[in-house]
Amino acid sequence: MKKWKIISPLVAIGLWWLLAGLGLLGKGTPTPLAVVKGFGHLVMTGLPPGYHLQGHLAASLVRVFTGFGIALVVGVPLGILMGYSSALETAVDPLVEVVRPVPPLAWLPLAVIWFGIGLASSAFIIALGAFFPIVLNTVSGVKSVDPRLVEAAQTLGARDRTILARVLVPGAMPSIITGVRIGMGIAWMSLIAAELLGVRNGYGLGYMIMTARDLARNDLLVAGIVVIGFVAFLVDWFIRLLEKRLLRWR
Amino acid sequence: MRTRTARASQASRRHLVVCVALIIGLCASLALAGCGTSAKTSKVVKVGYLRNDLHELAYYVASQKGYYKDQGLDVREGGVFNAGPEEMSAFSAGQLDIGFVGTAPVMTFAGQGMADVKIVAQANMGGSSIIVRPGLDAPDVAALKGRTIAIPGNATVQDFLLRMALEKAGVDQSEVRIIVVKPPEMLPALASGQIDAAVAWEPYPTMAVAQGSGRVLETSEKIWPHHPCCMVIADAKFLDENPDVVKRFVAAHVKATQYIQKNQLEAGDMAHLFTGQDTAVARAAIKSIEFGFRPDIKKLEQYATFMSQAGVIKDKNAGAFVRGLVDSSFLPGSP
Repeated sequence: MKKWKIISPLVAIGLWWLLAGLGLLGKGTPTPLAVVKGFGHLVMTGLPPGYHLQGHLAASLVRVFTGFGIALVVGVPLGILMGYSSALETAVDPLVEVVRPVPPLAWLPLAVIWFGIGLASSAFIIALGAFFPIVLNTVSGVKSVDPRLVEAAQTLGARDRTILARVLVPGAMPSIITGVRIGMGIAWMSLIAAELLGVRNGYGLGYMIMTARDLARNDLLVAGIVVIGFVAFLVDWFIRLLEKRLLRWR
Repeated sequence: MRTRTARASQASRRHLVVCVALIIGLCASLALAGCGTSAKTSKVVKVGYLRNDLHELAYYVASQKGYYKDQGLDVREGGVFNAGPEEMSAFSAGQLDIGFVGTAPVMTFAGQGMADVKIVAQANMGGSSIIVRPGLDAPDVAALKGRTIAIPGNATVQDFLLRMALEKAGVDQSEVRIIVVKPPEMLPALASGQIDAAVAWEPYPTMAVAQGSGRVLETSEKIWPHHPCCMVIADAKFLDENPDVVKRFVAAHVKATQYIQKNQLEAGDMAHLFTGQDTAVARAAIKSIEFGFRPDIKKLEQYATFMSQAGVIKDKNAGAFVRGLVDSSFLPGSP
């Protein structure tokens, strides 16, 4: 069955090649071969020349993990507390529900004023995007823990801290990881958009794509898209691997 | 039970008949309406332009003053874009007939074979400036040595202007740090000292001064007098099929440009309405833009040579490339 996994990408590439080769996809749509060559150009020559793919990738990874790390460190504890204390949830929820639906990108102009065009502003945008799925999934994870388990622990004389660490957090873990996976996906989307404005050090995958667009080099643009998709896929695969480890007790 | 079903099916059949009749009626009236519009002589022209770009004011003036209508043209907004490359992509997709857009994206897309267009008129010359952050001790361009300077994009006219200015001032490109930042973000980046200088088109330099987030170090008029900036372009296929329409469009454009040249104050107020820009800023910004409709082939060649050297356009013969791209035959005084 595992073999079937490669079928949909292969069909997509084949179809793309056929349609682009026949000129049915519109002027300037590169063929898969042009994209492979474009990938070589990104690695060897760089875009703009001298700014290689490796550097763009490293800069973007730093931004994603900084922003995502902030969302994780703030989001999970807040989510656990909100799930644990209904008073806190009632107090915080209205704010969360109003800010949550706002696309992180709408904050971009303000982020530039507050944090400039460096790491801080993209980290802010990414953290904002990843924060809400992490918080909300953590809250629902904590709430989904059977109250009888908590009561049982209490009767056995467990203290609040122990209940939190031994009952609530492990019980909420599957839901927390779901939040982490969704959050990571949004973090990537926010990253690309945050970099489209321009970045201070001249590196970033979104910045690279914007440069390709400005220069009408769609072969390089699509190569950049493929890189982003592939890296995001690898990151998600890593999280799922981590999930298996963390949830071994199940 | 059976009768009820029979009655129900009869009722639904009646509904069906009514529906079909209605649909036929609707189609007929639409067809008639279609005949009505096609009977009019005015030709629909789909125009694209850039949001918040004062260089393209002639488009707004011609629309508001009815110059297009006078020429029997029904000019419609085909698309408002944030940036030139997006507008050029719309040309690639065959969705626009005529567009107002910067020289850089036109040459880039034409040079990469991604859009088949012709430059039929100029929209403006000049209208860019090097601005520096407040408090930067820089009396001239030479003082930018060792500084971080933002441009709106690689191989843009602003990129070229900066390289020219640095060369004139005897500063090597390796002695400065050039990065790409989009113009709206340049102002906060200057104000917070994240970048030392930036090259941008109007209204951003005037806005920077008005907001106190920068001052003008050098205008593009000083760096490269009367340099090409925004262009009026036509889709090549549209041009082939409708040369008379393009001619009329260009005539309206020339009239609008002349209006702006003669009525600067009113033009400033129209610029305010066009972009939503503050009136004072709009009036001030208009003054640093030179409006003109005739493309300067020599200057375009100069720019094409720069782009060719930068590898942005494939054609190594800049002169032939520009001559193939520009079609001035629709301008007044042309054969």
